[in-house]
Amino acid sequence: MRTSKIFVLLITVVLPGVTQTGVSQTRRATVSRRQMDARAEALPDGVSAKEIKFYSEGVACYGKLFLPNGTDAQSKFPAVVLAPAWGETCSSIEKYAAQFANSGLVALAIDYRGWGRSGGFVQTAGPVKTDDRLRFSQMTTIVRIKRKVLDPQKQILDIRNALYYLQGEPGVDRSRIGVWGAGQAGGHVIVVAANDSRIKAAVAQRPIIEGKDTPKKASVPSSALLRAAQRQARSGDATVAGAAAGTQDFETTLALSEYHPFWDLELIPKTTALLFVIVDRDARVKNETNAIAASKLVKGPTDVVSISGTQISSGVTFDNACKAAADWFLKHL
Amino acid sequence: MSRRLTLRLGNLLLKNVLFLGLLATICSAQISTDIIEIHRADLQKQATDPASKRERGTNPEDWLFDLADGVTTRQITFYSDGTPCYGRIFFPKGFNTSKKWPAVVVGHGINAQAVGIEKYAARFAERGLVAMAIDYRTYGYSGGDVLLMEPDTTNDSQRVWQRDARVKIKRTNLNNFRETEDFRAAISYIQTEPGVDPNRIGIWGSSNGASVVLMVASRDARVKAVVAQVGAVSGLTASGPVPVPPQMLEDGIKRARTGQGAEVDGGFSFRSKIDMWSNQLNREFRPGAILDRISESTKILWIPAEKDELIPPRGANGPYAGSKAFKGISQVAELPYITHFQMYSFTAFEVGSTLASDWFLKYLGTVE
Repeated sequence: MRTSKIFVLLITVVLPGVTQTGVSQTRRATVSRRQMDARAEALPDGVSAKEIKFYSEGVACYGKLFLPNGTDAQSKFPAVVLAPAWGETCSSIEKYAAQFANSGLVALAIDYRGWGRSGGFVQTAGPVKTDDRLRFSQMTTIVRIKRKVLDPQKQILDIRNALYYLQGEPGVDRSRIGVWGAGQAGGHVIVVAANDSRIKAAVAQRPIIEGKDTPKKASVPSSALLRAAQRQARSGDATVAGAAAGTQDFETTLALSEYHPFWDLELIPKTTALLFVIVDRDARVKNETNAIAASKLVKGPTDVVSISGTQISSGVTFDNACKAAADWFLKHL
Repeated sequence: MSRRLTLRLGNLLLKNVLFLGLLATICSAQISTDIIEIHRADLQKQATDPASKRERGTNPEDWLFDLADGVTTRQITFYSDGTPCYGRIFFPKGFNTSKKWPAVVVGHGINAQAVGIEKYAARFAERGLVAMAIDYRTYGYSGGDVLLMEPDTTNDSQRVWQRDARVKIKRTNLNNFRETEDFRAAISYIQTEPGVDPNRIGIWGSSNGASVVLMVASRDARVKAVVAQVGAVSGLTASGPVPVPPQMLEDGIKRARTGQGAEVDGGFSFRSKIDMWSNQLNREFRPGAILDRISESTKILWIPAEKDELIPPRGANGPYAGSKAFKGISQVAELPYITHFQMYSFTAFEVGSTLASDWFLKYLGTVE
């Protein structure tokens, strides 16, 4: 109690010192508020939305929660977490969450750690002295905060932690929980459904599912990746010199080379329903080797809904994709 | 009649030759366990001597060791996902960088520290192996988890930000999945140590660390030899996702909503506190379920203790079952009479560390 008072005091003292960084924050907030107002107007009748903060391994993450008409502490709504595609943020999928809420689902769209409005990955710049006998210690020190990390395993943890947040939300039925993801997050959906017993229904939209033709064996990284991993183990530096922000670095390449959600398909319990939503003329994702091949390995209820088109953007393709997913969740949750 | 007899005899002979050949292959794939029989009486004495009773952990005096003549050590820092980690390398007598030495990474058990198992690294170096003992992230001399105590105002316009900040450092954040990555980072480090042959790498883990080394091998084919001492093969009989009991669900919700959940006594030799959540997380850690992913070129030695009270050797997730399930070359060398925490000292240490060294030397070879 006493220490927490000291923290508040410290933060108050420290805050004026960080006004420089506060500038960009304020500007960002203004922009996002304006965007939010625009979106708020677009919210379906009766659906409400609120920004929330959930924690993933101690990092504060951003989420936007969409509540159907009639949500209150007594209600028992089924609920889903929506995960952004590779390199995307929450704002790209909020429109799906809004539609899901309109269909009667509590829907939480999230930013992964290090992306959008979620906190980044923090390291101290120099060594600090700590001791195992003291679980938590506090200090002011120089930190390095890393953003735009593309690591599937970390993103999967973020999804799973968001699911816990959602289960604690008043008006949500904890036992009726689902997950939705597009692109690479369609692969995450499979891993979550296979490894998290809370999941009852899942939807993978235009999924990119790595690992179909990769033998289920331990591997040795290619020589360039191995050299990079060795450099990182010796220097701690993961960033490639001169790489522009957002460029896929070796860490991402290495993480992806070991990411095989296809291997997890057979682990999805029979009681979990998994839907794939695809477009029939997809120029970017090969349906035959992704969704269609994957659905054949699922033991439980599964289906592939094919929407006519080359992508899912707005208008009828978006409406159909939303309807297919929402129907699936309502049926199986 | 006689023709048929000749055929049958010939067939029998062929079968026997094949059988003998197979036997020879199996035999040559194993190390001698004579040392166990030689020390049987001493092991029994250790098991019954009240002074060497070890019920809920090792004692600090069990961690002590003498460096053998000519063995040198160097403390190093390796990085695991950016976190600085402690390693101590033990170099054999006559070590020089103009030759190629086999090397072993040595990792500790649950909620423990490197100081408790450096004696194994010292012993491996005495036998001619380069050996590096490590502390996992948030343990011992390795860095902790850094949590911001102020709003994170960074944004995606920049990849890396640097600034002054108020932080909270979290320690003893037990997590077998991260320990697996720590091991792999340590392998990357030792592979690039001058004088080490990057193609001859072994790993040693004890207790919960044995589960971790199996997981490392299931993911990383750089590993050529594994020694799993007094460890389970967690997940061997697992099916379906791990259930979340009500108490854990409440804790998961609390963690997701406040950043921190309940703490429990982590127990054993070092008695640090851990997150209750770690126990749930580690139940998901199931190397036994993916033993078949381990490369054919990786050879596994299990060293169980007969009277292991935590991990019965013949349990459903025990080393005998693991060795049976594993399709590649493996061996079980059980120490009679000994309990879980008696393994780390006196005769049991001598025998266990000798068997491990023999295994590494057999499958990694000697200095070239």
